[in-house]
Amino acid sequence: MTSATSVETILLNLASVLILLCAFACLGSKLFDRYVGYYAVQSVLLSVVAAIVAYDLDAGPLWALAVLTLLIKGVGIPLSTRRYLLARLSLKRDAAIALGLSTTLLIGAVLTGLAYFAMRPSTLPGLLLDTAAVPLAMAVVLLGGLCMVVRRHTIAQLLGWLIVENGVFLGAITLVATFPFIVEAGIFLDLVAGVLIMLALVSGLAQRLASASADDLRRLNG
Amino acid sequence: MTLTLSILAWALPLLGAVVPWAGARARGTGIATAAGGAGSLAAAIALAVRIVSGHPLKLLGGFIYVDSLSAFFVATVALVVTLAGLGSYSYLRAEEERHELSPLQVRLYGTFFAVFAALMLAALQTGNLGLLWVLVEASTLASAVLVALEARATSLEAAWKYIIISSFGVTIALVGTLFVYYSAIFLHVSPDQRLTWPTLFAHASALQGPSLRLAFLLVLVGYGTKVGLAPMHTWLPDAHSEAPSPASAMLSAALLNTGMYAIIRFQALTTAELGRYANDVLLIFGFASLLVGALFMIECANFKRLFAYSSIEHMGIIAIALGFGGVLGYYGALLQTLTHAIGKSVLFLASGDVVLRYRSRSVSDVRGLLPLAPVTGLALLLGSLAILGSPPFGIFLSEFTIVRAGFGSHAAWLGFLLLALLVIAFVAFSRTAVGMVFGAPPHGTASLAAPSRWVGGSPLVVGLGLLLLLGLWIPGGLNELIMHAMRSMT
Repeated sequence: MTSATSVETILLNLASVLILLCAFACLGSKLFDRYVGYYAVQSVLLSVVAAIVAYDLDAGPLWALAVLTLLIKGVGIPLSTRRYLLARLSLKRDAAIALGLSTTLLIGAVLTGLAYFAMRPSTLPGLLLDTAAVPLAMAVVLLGGLCMVVRRHTIAQLLGWLIVENGVFLGAITLVATFPFIVEAGIFLDLVAGVLIMLALVSGLAQRLASASADDLRRLNG
Repeated sequence: MTLTLSILAWALPLLGAVVPWAGARARGTGIATAAGGAGSLAAAIALAVRIVSGHPLKLLGGFIYVDSLSAFFVATVALVVTLAGLGSYSYLRAEEERHELSPLQVRLYGTFFAVFAALMLAALQTGNLGLLWVLVEASTLASAVLVALEARATSLEAAWKYIIISSFGVTIALVGTLFVYYSAIFLHVSPDQRLTWPTLFAHASALQGPSLRLAFLLVLVGYGTKVGLAPMHTWLPDAHSEAPSPASAMLSAALLNTGMYAIIRFQALTTAELGRYANDVLLIFGFASLLVGALFMIECANFKRLFAYSSIEHMGIIAIALGFGGVLGYYGALLQTLTHAIGKSVLFLASGDVVLRYRSRSVSDVRGLLPLAPVTGLALLLGSLAILGSPPFGIFLSEFTIVRAGFGSHAAWLGFLLLALLVIAFVAFSRTAVGMVFGAPPHGTASLAAPSRWVGGSPLVVGLGLLLLLGLWIPGGLNELIMHAMRSMT
């Protein structure tokens, strides 16, 4: 992928930009259902990116990762979050937002600019892949972090972390392309275990507190 | 043989995960946990002896890599697992007798305690920085279950805060790991080797400076969240105070050290290319942590939180020692890692006994511990003195070494600053601890059954004995191990 105009590069850039837009859409929404939906779309796009890079480098393990991403992040996690949390706790509208939506989006825009500044070419001489995906990945990481800070509800924080994770994954496949497979598989395993434990914690908290908003999590101070 | 020892060192604690599912209850689970820890400690010591006298163990292209730095940390963590395993026995027995823990909770405790220990011990024995990340993140998840175990609203809250903040932080460390990999793209080695620590260390001067700089910052913020360096420490007091006390000991004395180990590995990679850059960053975070730890200790009404803030303070001291660098700084950092691990295990295990007797974590409820429970009271008193760095205990020696490293460094005033902050911490901590030990006990405190008392007292006595020993005399073998380990740090 040396020439900047090859079809793969254009597709890769397009998918990366759409992934960033999904993160912004998540920040600009107030409905739990939408959060999960945007995350699902973002994950599917991510698996497309993985497939493009796999095709380009002809790397077998990356194909496996693309499929895993699609199955676990694109389908498994969104479905189980919907069924076991949103439906069971009948969650609809997220009322626990610390900042107004427009302010949040504005901060998001500043963070995206910051990501471009931090990832300028002098920091990263000789990129492996000739794409703009690396700063975009960094921006997705920052936006996910913003989501975790601004949203007080535990489920919103969980999805924020998942978006951060997607950003890191995007960075990993575009920046270094070939992590040892055992490491990638381990990262996936951690993600799945993490989501399971977090889902259990959220439902436990919901039982104890009637609402699982981090706003109520104020008992431990000092 | 070395490989067998290395596997035994991380696999033996898993005994505690198998036994409860085979039908054992609190007693069996407790015995298995303690026995697994002791076996692991024996394997770790034998491993350290073999590594120091021979070569580092390197297998599977560096996925298994044990040098003397790993061996030192493995032995330290295995010691903590042993002490906490003994503490688990009396914790599980006492809580089962009171019907505070259901059989399922006992099983979950045994399982996740064992998995947590095994993951940390395995993380210390891999040379692949990606696998290190995977194991450290997995250990976060396992320990979050322990924090939530007692299923109160507050412990669920603490577990949530812990898992979400730590996972986010550790994810940042993964980004840092990516950039380390990236900084090695011009090395003529296979892609796998670009994440392998011994390879990177051997070629440290050929790494790309700018991305390495970014990588170290991200790694320090990421793993620093696990270590509890300020300002990423906010999960730490909650998780430490809400977890069952043996689990608190594991968090404070084993998990934080595992995070620090990761930071040391990355610091070693930067020295050749970036000079004192990593040292200066570590000094900033170290002093911030020491300051935060010392100040929050002044007004702390919960003694387990007090110990947690003391952990932040001590991790700050270790970061400062790594920042000072030089022979004294690195020696002090490693010695402090060991002595703090022992001292904090003693304090948290003693606090577990206090919680069982007084059913409270509030400082104001606890009076007259010494007449009520002489062993625990004495352990709390002496343990507090030890952790604050009074002679003749080991922490005095390690902190003294670090202060001397400060006076010998390029900015001697930092040594004075360190001393001043240590004095603040001393006053804040001892004021609270002394009040708990003396006086007359309130009515309505419970006494424990005899076997729990004996087993519960043993880690306190052993730990204090070791601290006293290390304060008076550093065994030749330990000295050699630390000196050997320092070769992997610069």
